[in-house]
Formats: sequence, C-alpha cells, structure tokens
Amino acid sequence: MILVNYIVSICLIALGLYVMCSKRELIKIVIGMGIMDYGINMLIVSIGFHENGTAPIYTLADIINGNLSFFVDPIPQALTLTSIVIGACVDAMALSLVIMIKRRYKTTDADEVRRLKG
Amino acid sequence: MIQFYEHFPVISVMGLFLAAFLVEIFGNKNKTIRYGISLIACLAAAAMTLYLIIPVFRDGKIISYWMGGWAPEGGYAFGIGYEIDGLGLFFGILTSITFLMSVIFSKRYMERDAHLGHYYTLFLMLAGSVLGLVFTGDVFNLFIMIEIMTFAAVALTAFRHGKHPEALEGAFKYLVLGSIGSSLTLLGVALLYLSTHTLNMAQISALLSSQGFKPTTLFAFAMMLSGLAVKSFVVPFHTPAADAYATAPASVSTLFSGMVNKAGIYGMIRLTYILFRVMDRESVMLLLALIGALTMFVGVTMALAQHDFKRLLAFHSISQIGYVLMSVGLGSVLGLYGGLFHALNHTLFKGLLFLTAGAVYYATGTTNLDKLGGLAKRMPATTACFLVGAFAISGIPPFNGFASKWLIYQAAYEKAVQSGNFVYVIITITALLVSVMTLASFIKVTSAAFLGQQPASLKEVKEVPFSMQLPMFIMSALCLICGLLYRPVLTYLVGPAVSAAMDPSAYIDTMMGSGYAITHGVLPSSMGFAMISAWDPRFWLLLFIIVTCAVTLVAVSDARTRGPVSLPQPGETDAKHATFFGGEKSTHSHVSGSDLFWGFKKDLKGYFHVIGDLHSGRTNDYALWVVLGVTVIMLFTFIFLS
Repeated sequence: MILVNYIVSICLIALGLYVMCSKRELIKIVIGMGIMDYGINMLIVSIGFHENGTAPIYTLADIINGNLSFFVDPIPQALTLTSIVIGACVDAMALSLVIMIKRRYKTTDADEVRRLKG
Repeated sequence: MIQFYEHFPVISVMGLFLAAFLVEIFGNKNKTIRYGISLIACLAAAAMTLYLIIPVFRDGKIISYWMGGWAPEGGYAFGIGYEIDGLGLFFGILTSITFLMSVIFSKRYMERDAHLGHYYTLFLMLAGSVLGLVFTGDVFNLFIMIEIMTFAAVALTAFRHGKHPEALEGAFKYLVLGSIGSSLTLLGVALLYLSTHTLNMAQISALLSSQGFKPTTLFAFAMMLSGLAVKSFVVPFHTPAADAYATAPASVSTLFSGMVNKAGIYGMIRLTYILFRVMDRESVMLLLALIGALTMFVGVTMALAQHDFKRLLAFHSISQIGYVLMSVGLGSVLGLYGGLFHALNHTLFKGLLFLTAGAVYYATGTTNLDKLGGLAKRMPATTACFLVGAFAISGIPPFNGFASKWLIYQAAYEKAVQSGNFVYVIITITALLVSVMTLASFIKVTSAAFLGQQPASLKEVKEVPFSMQLPMFIMSALCLICGLLYRPVLTYLVGPAVSAAMDPSAYIDTMMGSGYAITHGVLPSSMGFAMISAWDPRFWLLLFIIVTCAVTLVAVSDARTRGPVSLPQPGETDAKHATFFGGEKSTHSHVSGSDLFWGFKKDLKGYFHVIGDLHSGRTNDYALWVVLGVTVIMLFTFIFLS
C-alpha cells in the first residue's frame, strides 16, 4: 500500500523537525537531521514505485518478443542514492563539528553553546 | 553546429571543481602551486563567464547545453541540461566578480593560517557550486549544487576555529539550518517530479502551465520557496547568517554576502517567475514583499545593536537582501530592475565592506568596535574604501546604492498607487526608514573604528599590503561607475536579465524545441519599462508630507511621557546612563564609539530587548524559527494560491 509510505515519510519528516526544535543535546539535533533525511528518501522512492513493476532493464530479446511490462521508475531511485550519500556526508560533518565543539566548549548542550547571540 | 563558446559554462564550472581537487593533490605543501592553480582557475572561470556577455546579453541568445548530448526526445527531457539565459548569466557575473576579488584578497589575508590547501579547495568548490547553480537547467542538479555550496560554506566558516572557537558554533548552526533548507528543497523537487515526471526546469514550467496547479504542486512550491529562502537568509531564516558571516574569515564573508545569498535569491526568482510563473498573482507579490520588508527592518535594527564590525555587516547584508526580495516581489518590471540592480550593487558594496573589515582584522587582530579607533590616520586607503562602501550602502549619491534604492522606492510607490493597497505604502515608508537607519549605523562604525581616539594598543598599526588594497580599489571604482553610469548598466546588464525573467517562453523553447511553450499555453509576454506615476513629483511631495506628519505625530504624542530630556529614572541600573547625566562618578562620558546611538536605543529599549532575546543563540530556537516560517509560507500558499 503506497499511501502508508507517504504517511510514514511525512511523519518521519515531522519527527525530525520536532527533534531539532526540542532536543538540546547537539548529537540529538544531528540525529533529527538524519531522521528528516530518511523521511524524504522514503518519499522519493515511493514516488517511483509501481505495483507489480519490474526492474527497468531490457534486453533486445525482450523487445523483439514483446515481453515488455510495467516497470518501476528508475530516476527516483537514482535521486535517492545521491541523496543518501549527501545525507551521510552531512551527518559526518555535523558530528565532526560536534566533536570539535565538545573539545573547545567542554559541553554539547545547545543551551550552553551560545556565545554568538543578540 | 555548436559554437565553441557554448562549452564555456560547463568548462568554467568543471574547471573550478577540477582545480579544487588539483589543489588538494599538489598544493598542500607548495604555496606557489596552490595559489597559482586557484588564481588561474578563478581567472579562467571569470573570463569565460564574462565572455558570455557577448552572445547572451548583446545578441540575445540563450545557450542550452545537454550533458553528453542527451537532447530531449519526443517532447521529454531525459538528460541534464545547462541553460544560460539573461537571468542566469547576470547572477553568474555577480559570482565571478565576487570570487575573483576574494581570491586576490586571500593571498595575503590568509597567509598566517595553516592548512591553506584545504582553504583553497573549499574556496574553489564554493565558487564552482554557485556558478553551477545559476547555470543549471535541472532542478535536481540545482539541489546538488545547493548541497555542495552549503558544505563548502560550512567548512569555510569553521576554518579559523583554532583562534576563534565561536566559528565552530556558527558553522554548526549554519549546517543544521542549511540542511533543513536543503531537505525542504529536495522535498519540493521530489513532489515536482511526482506531478510532472521530469526534472528539467523548462519542461516543468511548460507542463505546470498546461496542467494547472494541484495540491501536490502547491506543496512543492511552498517547500521549494522556503528551502531557497533559507539559503538566501531572509527573516525568519536569517539567524545562522549573522553567526556564520561574523566568524568566517573576511574573504569568505565576502563570498557569502556576494554570491551565496544571491544564489538563494536567484533560486527564488527562477522559481516564482519561470518555474511556477505565479508573479502575476497579488497574493504572491504580497508574500514576497512582506518577507522582504520584514527582513530589511529586522536586519537593520539588529545591526544597530551590534558591537562587532563583521557581525554588524552581516546584519546589514540580511537587511539589503530584504530590499532585493521586496523589490523583486513587487512583480513589476520596474521592481525587477530595481531589485536586480540592487543585487549587483549589494555584491559590490558589501563585498567591499567585508574586505575592509578583513583589512582591519589583518592590521589590528580584532573586529570589536569597542577596541578600535582612529584608524584613519594609519590606514588611509582602507578608510577611503570603507567610506565609499558606507556611502554606497546608505544610498548617498553619486554611489551605486543611491541609484538602485531610488528605483526600488519608485517601484514600491508605483505598486502602492497602482494596487491601492495600503500595505505597499507601509513597505515604501519602511524602505525609506531602513535606509536612514543604515546611514546611522555606518556613521557609528566610521566614528568607532576609523575616527576618534587611537587606543594605545593600535599605535603600531600599518596599512595592509597592496595585493589586499587592489580588490578594494577595484570594488570602490565599480561602486562609483555603477552609480554614475547607471543608465548603461541598467540597459546592458540588468535589462537582459529582467526580460529573461519576464518572458519564460524563450527559455522553454530554447531547451525543448521551438513551439513547445505555445503548445503548453505559455504565451510570450510583452513588457514595457514605463515609469508610470512614480516620476510624478506630486506623489513624492504627498509621500514626504505623509512621512513628516507621521514622524511629528509620533514625536508629539509621546512628548508628555518622555519629556525633553530623558533623565535617569530612579532605580536605573545602566551605569552608563547614570554617569552620562549625573557627572558625579566620572568626568567623562562612558559612551564609546560603538554606542553612538545608545540614546535612541534606550528610548526603544522595549523593542531592542525583545528582538535581542529572540536571537537567543540556541540552535533549537533557530530551528523553531525555520519551522514557523515554513508553516506560514505553506498556509499562505494553500489559502491564497489554490
């Protein structure tokens, strides 16, 4: 059921945003960013999905014999792969920044990492 | 037959990316190789971009380039295409000027830092990504470029974390909010693909026009608009900008204000004018103009409260972006002229101001206005350049800021007269007021940093080397040229960009084959550049009378409670206030240069406390701001656009 996918992915996005807005621990904020990303990736994959679709790979024999069937849209899958890679990089970079902040500020509490304000 | 120059856009983008990796491989040890590669890549990319002025601006061509030759088949675009029209090239020129000036400045400015190989790698990645963003004709490619841009920008923000640990904090906030923005953009792209089954901008524009707006498309519009708004740092998404601009090295801040937030503005123009073509609707105009007006007001009032040179400039940068967005959001030809011209001018004068801030940091080691003073005698060239930038940003003739702000006032006033909507009158008055406050704030910087008494610690300060002065001189000269020769600049540089934004049918036809736009119901628009009522002096007289009356009314109505001199109240805790009026505690005033307007700030302290507390510095609060902004944009879209 594709509708479930859409609902779950929107819920994941909302959950990610909620975590970013409410959790003071910097690591948890990074996790929130990750959850939001996963929700979007799931949405993109669901967009390309077709019930009973096959992989979008054809040989010349398939075309000659007329075995062409309904296939899953490959572009969203390519987009999702790209987006997963980017998401992993964002998380890695955010975590490395958190490590540096922990070293210099001696804390990972968002309430105390606020020398820049006003 | 494909002309040779049609390869230039992709060569310039790829050249910058290639140079980034070459620097990382060969330039980590040897500084000549490192700088040589960076400078050559930047020069080549800028030269190729500027060369495109001849075919695109002069001959009116639109360059389309399909990667690997994957041209559209049967009315469907499969490959990734680059498409350079007047609008894209205009922002490409802004980008080229910015990174060229910044790379020249970086040579001496960054010489005391370690790991410069990484610096130039990230620098070239940032330059290449913004150039790719403005040249691309594919929405997913746009998202990729936005991500590379955010990545490089965040890493560059944190570059000086050794000396300034705050840079880490600024970078983290930028990364969190930037990633929300990118995610929203990606969500919008995915939903656009869901409703049109293509990623090509030209085809999306044509298909949306023929199939009309569905709820999915509206949601996609709201998501992409908020995602790009996060990237251009308009209120309420502006909070990471101040932190990142203030803590990044000045050469990087120049890049941020010169091209990174311009990239967001470019995206918003592309989205509203070409992809969705919603700028003929009053509601969208009102939304963009209101966001713009709010941005310029919040930006400038926050700037008044700052004590740090670069943080102050950062808030001014936000405020000036508000001008651009407000003017572009008016949806009129005059508004686009004003907005795009102001975008060009903002790149020039704000780049110049950040470079002077960098020069001050290089010479003195600080950007705190309370510790600076009397630099005019020691650094005459920097001071002169700073004054040019300050005059330009405050809109004083004959500098460029005046020309574009004048156009913006006219556009806003014309809109108010045409639509009869009182909101636009308020927006026009806000624009005038913000300009005054900008001037006030720069008087403060001038007096605090360059005039006044010289602290003992700054006796040994020397003028910066010539290679740092050169970009400042070039930027100053460009500021003056754009102000004096505004007519040719408007006609030959801004004009093609405006007509590209107003007429998407040529853009669609170039990419998808001629006749594609008409069959999908996109009609070529006829635009007239007529200054209808805005030139009428009677309206201006009326406006000035209204403003004067308003100011008088406010002053008179408040006079009884305030009295002629605001004497210290009993229970006053501000020691500065007490000594200034009492004179018992000390013989001289404690009002330092950066506090020039403390009286004004004290009278409006209610507002300044609230706005200061809202910028709490907490990442969670800033994320909440973004969520609120997105919610407002989404509700607005669904209520007024469906």
